Amino acid sequence: MIAPMKKVSIVCMKEDREKVLSALQHSALMMITASENGIHGSDKESSEKQRRLEQLLRELSKYEKKKGMFAQPTTVSEDDFDNVSEDTVKLCEEIEKLVEKRDSVTAEIVSLNSTIELMSEWKDLKTDLSNLAPTESTLTSVGKLPIARFDEFKSRIADVDADFEKVSESEKTVQILLVYFKEAASQIRTLLTECEFEEVKFPFERGNVSDITKDLKVKLDSVTKEKEILLEKLKEVTDTSKEDVETLFEQYRASADRTEVRLEETLETVFIEGWVRADSLDKLNSTVKKATKIFDIESRDPKDGEDVPTSLTNNKTVAQFEGITEMFNPPKYGDYDPNAVMAPWYWIIFGMMMGDAGYGLMMAVMILAGKKLLRPQGGMAKLMNVILYSSITTIIFGILFGSYFGEELLPAVLPFTAMGDPIKMLLLTIIVGVLHIFTGMITKMVLDIKSGHPWDAIFDQLSWMMIIAGVGMIFINPLQKIGIIIALAGALIILLTAGRHKKGVIGKLVGGLGGLYNITSYFSDILSYSRILALSLATGVVGMVMNLLAGMVQGSVIGFILSLVIYIVGHIFNLVLGLLSAYVHACRLQYIEFYGKFYEGGGTIFKPFGIKTNYINIKKD
Amino acid sequence: MFESGIVIAICGAVICALLGCCGSALGVMYAGKSAAGVVSEKPDLFGKMLVLQALPGTQGIYGFLIAILVMVNTGLLGTPADISVATGWQYFFATLPMAIVGLISGIAQGKTAAAAIQMTGKQPDASGKGITMTALVETYAILALLTSILLIFSIK
Repeated sequence: MIAPMKKVSIVCMKEDREKVLSALQHSALMMITASENGIHGSDKESSEKQRRLEQLLRELSKYEKKKGMFAQPTTVSEDDFDNVSEDTVKLCEEIEKLVEKRDSVTAEIVSLNSTIELMSEWKDLKTDLSNLAPTESTLTSVGKLPIARFDEFKSRIADVDADFEKVSESEKTVQILLVYFKEAASQIRTLLTECEFEEVKFPFERGNVSDITKDLKVKLDSVTKEKEILLEKLKEVTDTSKEDVETLFEQYRASADRTEVRLEETLETVFIEGWVRADSLDKLNSTVKKATKIFDIESRDPKDGEDVPTSLTNNKTVAQFEGITEMFNPPKYGDYDPNAVMAPWYWIIFGMMMGDAGYGLMMAVMILAGKKLLRPQGGMAKLMNVILYSSITTIIFGILFGSYFGEELLPAVLPFTAMGDPIKMLLLTIIVGVLHIFTGMITKMVLDIKSGHPWDAIFDQLSWMMIIAGVGMIFINPLQKIGIIIALAGALIILLTAGRHKKGVIGKLVGGLGGLYNITSYFSDILSYSRILALSLATGVVGMVMNLLAGMVQGSVIGFILSLVIYIVGHIFNLVLGLLSAYVHACRLQYIEFYGKFYEGGGTIFKPFGIKTNYINIKKD
Repeated sequence: MFESGIVIAICGAVICALLGCCGSALGVMYAGKSAAGVVSEKPDLFGKMLVLQALPGTQGIYGFLIAILVMVNTGLLGTPADISVATGWQYFFATLPMAIVGLISGIAQGKTAAAAIQMTGKQPDASGKGITMTALVETYAILALLTSILLIFSIK
């Protein structure tokens, strides 16, 4: 069922904006409609803070110990969530400083390492670095040039007023120290450039190279140690307070969400407009009342043409199947909610497609264990429940077809099995398909009659049901004649009425014939249900193959163990694949064959303004 | 070699498993390439991507299934029954629908899945629609599977 909605407008004082929005956020009752000319909240910092913390959390996750697969998020009570802990804010600043420090230390290590590398290249330079400074009349250069150019350099430098010393020679380069007069500087420069001389500038002005290197290494050691301590601290802080940081992040996010809401304002007041379920109107009233004393709240029914969000109120069992319709197209407000008629059919068809008692049992065990360990919420929980419910039909059909892990351990309850007599099974699936489609058509008839078009119900639905049922009866011997009559009567109705909206006699006639042509679409719709047979055979045969393979290796102790592995892995593999196929194709039969008969959808889902959290769960008081 | 019925039947089983699995391998590859791109940007969508990527995988299973049915029916897994050349050809032709449609629909479904994956990457809520679109392609693989199954079961 679709819950009736009310449009609510709340007017409150500007200074109460945060309080009222926070109350609305906690109660998650109202879907606030954004106003184009609206104004954001004043707390502009929260989104920036949220961004910063997000980054911080990303840093911390590097130091986190591996969590178990089934770890649950922390639970925070509603009251705690409302109070931003100053300690955590301070702690976050400290952690940020730690991260900053870590980055600067890391950068320092990199630069120290590169300096040490440079100095080690010049470890043979015996002179003190202070001697490299220019004197009154001379200049000194240190640098290296490629070995290949060294001979050329030697011969050319002899012609100039300069002196050089070969400091060391490495694989590819020669390190030299060069002293020359200032007057010759420009000449020397050209020479050096031509010989591919690469000048080195030491980051130190005095001191002996080997001493400097020693100092640098000592410094590197201490900085590395410092980094280790920092990392240790970060690990510790992650261990003890990551959850607090996560909570703070969620608090900032909630606050940023409140700021994000655009509301129209006057000089003193703000105006909050949105949708509320009619049955939670009182709750909304008291929620706002608790937040502020000065306010005004008004509600009205939706007007025609307004885009009203859809909120569904099905009983708990049907509600689990809502996700399937939502994935296709949620119902429009004021339309018919198809979940109640769809759910039992999905349940049955899913069970037929799996059709194996052993797999049904495995499904139930796996889902129950998964629910216990993962504690899923929202859509995931619903999907798991759907599969859990369907495990019942899977077991039932497994017993009916006599299929237990792909073997016929017990004789089938039905007089045939899918493997033994696939034609009879095909007939069964087609009968199920016809009943499914008829359910859709009857629903459409009821909707037509309710909306005051009883003739449409007869002309467009009943006529086709007569044809389909009539054609079916032709195959049952004593009913053959009645079947022909019913089918012809149905065809006649279509021929005469399908063109009733067209203009002119010819138009109506052509429309009637065109209507009859729809037989192809009904035919393909019904045949589409043969996939139930195909999928149930696929599950059965692959299961059988697994048993066959396991049976082949048995015979010795090792073979027996191997066969156990094949049994377990093989059947789980087959179960998972079967589940995926059954889920997808059971959905498809609902969407195309079933919903095609009566359902349009096109609504928007009611998503009340609330607190979205990734890291924590908030416990309602 | 075509004087032996069993050889012809094996030919059919082999072609069916071969083409069906090739179709699925290609299909899953197309979908997987696309899914990897989406997951690189949105790691949260991995679960949805996996479902979509797995969809073109069924043709391989169907092809395998028909091959196994041929093996079971001809007694290949136990003691091979004596099969006439005509029966051998019957098995051969019975496997063809699944073999050929398996190859082509596997590739086609893979391309559809890749498109659906792109769509889901942009609108994660639309994954249900993407799954439906992809499953529509599979209908024809299922019809081919049924044809092959019914034919094999009807061979006396």
